[in-house]
Formats: sequence, structure tokens, C-alpha cells
Amino acid sequence: MRFENMTDAIGNTPLVRIDAAVHGLRNIDLYAKMELLNPFGSLKDRAAWNMARPLLAQAVERGDTVVELSSGNTAKALAVIAGMHGLTFKSVTNRMKVTEIKDLLLLLGAEIDELPGQAECLDPSDTDDPLTRMYHRLAESDGGYLHTDQYFNELNVDAHLNGTGPEIVKDLDGRAPDYFIACVGTAGSSTGVAAALRQHNPEVRVVGLVAHKSDFIPGIRTIDEVHEVGLFDPDVYDEVETITADDAIDGLLTLVRRCGTLAGPTGGGAYQGAVRHLRAIDAQLTERRTAVFIVCDRVESYMSYLRERRPELFGRPPRRNSLRTVTDAEVRQAAVVDVAEAERWIAERRGLVVDLRSPFAYQALHIDGSVNIVDEIFAELLHGGLPFGRRQPVLLVCPVGEKSARYAALLTRMGHPDVRSLDGGIIAWRDAGAELVRD
Amino acid sequence: MPLYLSPRIGPTLQSALDETALMAQLSDALGSPLGVILPQQVADNVAAFRSIFSAHRLAGQIYYAHKANRSSALVRELAATDAGIDVASLAELQHALGAGFGPQRIMATGPKNEEFLWLCAVTGVTVSADSVGELAALATLVTNWSLPRVRVMARLSGFSSTGVRFTSRRSRFGMSAAAVSEVLDLIEKHAGALDLVGMAFHLDTIGLPEKAVALEGCLGALDECRRRGLRPWSVDIGGGFGVDYLADGTQWERYTTALTEAVLGRRAPLTWAGHGYGLRAEGGHVRGALNLYPAHRPVSGPAYLDRLLRTTAPEQRRPLGTLLLDNMYDLHVEPGRALLDQCGLVLTRVLEVRDEANGDTIVRLDCNARDVSLEEHGVLMDPVVVHRTTTAAAGPVGVYLFGNLCLEADLITRRKVFLPSRPRTGDLLAFVNTAGYLMDFSATQALRQPIGRKVALYRDGGAWRWCLDEQYWPVHRRVEAA
Repeated sequence: MRFENMTDAIGNTPLVRIDAAVHGLRNIDLYAKMELLNPFGSLKDRAAWNMARPLLAQAVERGDTVVELSSGNTAKALAVIAGMHGLTFKSVTNRMKVTEIKDLLLLLGAEIDELPGQAECLDPSDTDDPLTRMYHRLAESDGGYLHTDQYFNELNVDAHLNGTGPEIVKDLDGRAPDYFIACVGTAGSSTGVAAALRQHNPEVRVVGLVAHKSDFIPGIRTIDEVHEVGLFDPDVYDEVETITADDAIDGLLTLVRRCGTLAGPTGGGAYQGAVRHLRAIDAQLTERRTAVFIVCDRVESYMSYLRERRPELFGRPPRRNSLRTVTDAEVRQAAVVDVAEAERWIAERRGLVVDLRSPFAYQALHIDGSVNIVDEIFAELLHGGLPFGRRQPVLLVCPVGEKSARYAALLTRMGHPDVRSLDGGIIAWRDAGAELVRD
Repeated sequence: MPLYLSPRIGPTLQSALDETALMAQLSDALGSPLGVILPQQVADNVAAFRSIFSAHRLAGQIYYAHKANRSSALVRELAATDAGIDVASLAELQHALGAGFGPQRIMATGPKNEEFLWLCAVTGVTVSADSVGELAALATLVTNWSLPRVRVMARLSGFSSTGVRFTSRRSRFGMSAAAVSEVLDLIEKHAGALDLVGMAFHLDTIGLPEKAVALEGCLGALDECRRRGLRPWSVDIGGGFGVDYLADGTQWERYTTALTEAVLGRRAPLTWAGHGYGLRAEGGHVRGALNLYPAHRPVSGPAYLDRLLRTTAPEQRRPLGTLLLDNMYDLHVEPGRALLDQCGLVLTRVLEVRDEANGDTIVRLDCNARDVSLEEHGVLMDPVVVHRTTTAAAGPVGVYLFGNLCLEADLITRRKVFLPSRPRTGDLLAFVNTAGYLMDFSATQALRQPIGRKVALYRDGGAWRWCLDEQYWPVHRRVEAA
């Protein structure tokens, strides 16, 4: 394969069978459309390219900014496409929740505008949804924007009607599958693919998956939110079913661990929702059927999402010299000095004063002659062993004398014979009227 | 299936509600509507906030935002705790001083006239200043009257963020964080009159990221103070901690989904005249945004403060609580609604129950939408039916609640309210957990209808006792048999 542009590599993704030993369905062949193999990492590459392509020449001429209401894959694809054409991209979002995607967008040179959160006091004048607010903002500016409008742009659907859908039919030897299961985000892919499949076989059953209302699954809307989407037409779906974040992660783990498919939560949700839906049907079947679901994107962008919801997946062996292992009994035995004694100790230059507070706070005001090693870095150092010699006397300082006492106990346990903690911390120091300096 | 939005009722409030005979007596004697205040609950709420301070090892003050309720009992009970009070008018300041708050526990906020500023300066309360002009006026006043230095906080707004740009709603309050040097110039110029003790902000949002940006912005401003040799030691992060009003989150989810469907015309209307609470249908799609208080708010009050203090500062990448402690700053908060969680209810009398020809059931109450301002504040929460005798008819009923004003718009809520049993004339509807903003915040005497009386209900010697709100003091000398 030889291409002139990365955008030429969009589409023509493989359709891969999921091993029956994994999904356990006896009479249904289950296939995954591997949209995670698109060059910018997701299904949204197709829609982003299809929506932006016809407008790019003019936008380049005028130097427009590409803008979209997106907090995920569409923003990522558009940021790449904009960059390839020398344009800037701006993502407007009401709460970008996935930090990796936020960082990736910034890396790609995108601007991110976060809309305000919900008001605590009711403001009757504030009744607009994010999309309407964005339209207002675009209307107020004198042009200069290429707005792809993914929630209302028919080209979003067309990308799948003419691409994703027909590819599935071709790979199934010219037949449409009996079941198509898709998560509903912009509704572009499910609507487009469903239409393409039904052109071949009007009997295709289409299942739309939405997120449980109290859950957040990146890229999937809840049952209420889908009604805000211009492309959402309830008649496309024979059934709309709900999946939870737990379902999505369970499915993700199956795909990642057993199917060689590094899917993100949307793909995981589609798999889990598909198997759940098909299991009931499978039991009644006497002949073979085919089902297809979409793996939308890749797992790597969702590590923080997974870590937050399933911390046990990331369990690591305990590290040595960890502060967490210090017992209260050890802390009680740690040496402490009060402010008056500490002032004498320092005046006589008897040892090293280590201030464990943040650099910002240290620079603002600190005890003269102290050095700053912020606690989290100090903790890192201690995992490796003592960061100073045993003959070096040390006084530890923190805000209230609590952390410093724990570290004094830990250093004592590590074999340091001459370490002490400032009782009451730097707040007691200040309250006693002792001197604080800034350089 | 009835779409209930059942209120979350704590044990104290429930035990008060269970005194049905007392409730009926109070309503008969004192009229409808009647505000019932549970002053002792507020002390527990202060303690809950204080425990978050302790867990983060932070010092500082919990200032009750007085504007949430006009009650004297609450203010006097709070004066007996270690809390402070945030007053936003001349009369609120007088009220706080009279209830026993010393000036060092009082913070004056909001728009101020000269009389208000004068009383602040002469009594020595802390003034949270909204503008450079207000600081200048205060300095002039202090100088002209030869008063001692007044402690001031500078309220900032319009914080900027790097990387991801967080937009906040425009506020009419506060000085631009970008122009903090101008504020400090003025304070230094009037060093004999103004004693800067801290920086403040209040953002009207439930969003943590915006507050994290603002708090870090205050830390930056305080650093500028230290560079100049000023020594303010506190950050006031305002209020907005919120209340979880509903007992069951799934009811809220079911209701809001049903409301969306009703707006789209896919089910019978759930509201008077098809009101959409901010949602509207356009071409088969829902537009607009749900303009309601998030009545189901599992992380609220003290838990929200805890969450905020655990939030990582966007620039310094350390938890905000840790940064405050590192810098030796006191933390001040100004909760109103959250501090009055479970602190009261409004009792209203049913005047009429009738069935209309179109199938709607109407319950007319002897109170109006200003007496129980659920609708004005966007809080959707069912009242509790207090039957005089036995239930009229078993089984749930959907009703519209009409008020007592001769006004088409006077519905207590525009929502059809589902009650577990049909009320009868003379029964009471109790709107519970309404002490924060939902009781007398905007009560008026329109049409010469009386503003409801208030009583304080308190536990003493193992029994419920009551007195008029203005008669209540934390020293329970005047015991009346319940």
C-alpha cells in the first residue's frame, strides 16, 4: 500500500470474527468492525474527514479556524486534519473528562474552551444548551471559522452510509448481517451503517446502545442526551438498550485480554451490549445468524478513566520505605522539637533543615537556611534509600508537624540516628512570631 | 406509575414530622403558611463542615450566609457555635450583632451602601470588598471618622487558566484577578485605614475545575501580596456547596427522562401548560438546557468541600487543601443552603381539592409560590401529606398545586406533583428541607396576603418544644408544653 496522505488511509478497516469460545454464542457468528485501526485512532476519522474535506480549500485560503463541539475522537481527528492543512483547531466542550485526550489535543496544538459548569443558584436567563451557545458565538464572530457541526451534519452519516456500511456488506460476501449493534454518540455511524445494511436487507435488526443516566462512558450519550442530537432518529433502532460503565469496562477487558483487540470503553460497551442482547436470541435459534458491532477506538487514551473506576486492575507490589507502612507507634517515638528549641538548633547551625512544603509556598516564605524538598519527591527519594548521610543531623518541617513526624519516624526506621520534626510545623513557627524570609 | 420526587428526610426532621398533632395545632394557631425552623440541626451541620477542615488540618472560619433565611433562631443558635456569619445588608449586620456575634466573626459581603460600610467600619467587622471603588470609599470613611484600621478581603473574579481554557459565567461581583496590582496599590496607599487579611472569590457554579482555577488564582494574588510585604493569611472560597434534596437518585433520573419525553410530545404533559423547565422541542429534537437545580446531588455540602480540597491545582499540581496548608493560609467558606440542610419545613393548609373535567386534580393551598419558593429556585421536590384523620382515598394521585394569589401564574410548582395519598380539605402539606432559600427568601405581602409566621421547634428534656422564632434563644429558659 502506498499513499500520498495519511487521510488516504482512513477506512477499509478489517471485519474480524470474535472467537465463539470467548462470546459463547452457539448459533451466531459475531464480527467486530475494527474502526480502531483508522490512522488517527477511531471511527471518527471517517466523519471528520468527510465533513471537513469539502470546506478545506476555502478555509485554507481564508486562514479559518476549524471548530467543533467535541471532547473526544472527533476533536482529535479534526485537530490532526487541521494541522495537516496548516489550520488551527479549537475544541469547545462542556467538560472534557478524559485527561489523556485533553493532553493529546494540546500536544496537537489545539485550543480547548471549556464552557461553564451548571449554576448553583438558578439563573432564569441561562437556558441555552452548549450547542446553541456555540452557534451564538459563531454568529457573533465575523466568520473565520470552519464549523463541522457533527451533531447535525449529514456528511457525518454519509461517511458511514458510503464507507463503513458497504465495507461490512462486502466483507460478508455481499450479505448484510442479521444484527447490527452500535453505541449512540453523534448517531452518525449507527444511522449511516444501518441505512447501508438495510439497502441490502430491510430485515436487519439494529440495536442502539446508550449509557445509563448516572454513568459516564466516553463517546456514548445517555437516553436523554440522544434527543439533543440532530442526527438521532429513534426509528433507526429496533431497540434502544442501556449499558453501564461497568458493562463497558467488562467488555473492554474481554476484547483487550482475549481477542487481541485494544479497544476503548465504547468498543467494550458495544461488545458487552451485543453479547447480552444476542444471548437471549441465540437460545431460540435453529439456523446460523450473523451479527456485527463496532470497535470505535483504542484503549490507551482511557488509562485514567480505567484507573479511577477499577483501581484494582493497576495493583502494584508495595515499594520499600513507603510512608504508608509507618505505624502510629513509630510516629509517637519520633523525635520532635518545639519552636524555641528549633530556633536554637538552627541558630547554632547544627544540621540540615528540610522544608517538605510545595516550592511555591516555600519560595513565598520559609525558615532561613532551609532547603526545599517537596514531600512527594522526598517520598520518591526514600524509596531508593537515605538521601543524606547518617552523620548529617536533620530537622524536618511541614505545615502542621504531622507529615514531618511521619517522615522522621520513617528515617529513624531506615537507620538515621539524628532526625527530628518541628512540632506544630511552620504554622506554629509563624504563630510564635519566629522569623520567616523570602529570597 | 407515579413519578415521585421524594425528599431526603433525616432523623431529626422525620421525628418532627411525626408529631402530627403538634403540626396541626401549630398550623391552626398560627396560620398558613408556617415556617418551622429546627435550629439545633444547624449546629450539627457546622460540625460536619468543621470535620472536613480538621481532616485537612486547615484552620479558618465557616461563615453562615445569612441571606438563605431571615430566621432569628438560626442566627442565635449559630452564635452559640464556633461559626461566623456572612451578612449582605445593613439589617443583616444589625441582626447578627444583636444575636451575639462579635465583629471578629462577621464578614460583610455583597453590594453595600454608605450606612452599611459605616456600621462595618465602626464595629470592626471584616469587609469583603467587591470593587476598587468600594475600598476607596471605605478608606475615606475610616479616615474621615478617625476609625481604627478595617480588616478587608478583596473579592476577585475573571480568573484565567492556561492550557485548557475554562470559561466561567460573567459575574457582577469582584475585581479582575488580572488587575490585582491596582487593588494592592490602593490598599498600600491607604495602609492606615485598610488591613488586607485575605483574598476571596465566589463562583456560581457546581463545577470543580472552575473553582480550582479560581482558588489557585487567589494563591497567585496572595503571593503578589507577600512580594510587596503585605501579610494576608486567608482565602475565602464563598459558598455553593449544595444540598442533596432527593432520597432516591433513580427517581430523579426517571423524572427527567419523562420530562424530556413530555417535551417531545411522546407522553402526556407533566407540567402546567406544557412548561419544559428550559427544554423545548425543535423539529423533533430537544433544545435548550434543563434549567433546574440538580436536586439529586450525591456529592454536596461538606463532601463537596472535601472533594474540592482534594482536587489537584491545575498549575502547581498539588491538592488545593495541601497548597493552602503549605502556605499557612486559613480557609474561609460561606455556605448558606448547605448549612441549613434539614433545618426546617413550611407547613401549608389545603383549602380545596377538586377534580377538573379534563381529569386534572387541583389542590389549592393557603400559601403562594413566594412562600415556598421551590419553583423560583428550580428545586423539584414533593411535599409530605400530613393527614388530619385517616387517609381520604388510598393510592397515589397526580395533582397541580395552586396558590392563594389571584394570579394565573401562582402555582406552587408548575409540575404535576404525585402524592402517595389524596389529601382532603384541612389536611396539611409539609414542604420539608426548605430552610435554605426556599422558605422566606422572596416572601411578599402582595395582595395583602400575610407573610407566614415562623416558629422554632427544638428538643428539650427529651421532648419537642416550640416558641415563636423571634422568641428563641439557645438558652432554653422559656419552656412551653408541646
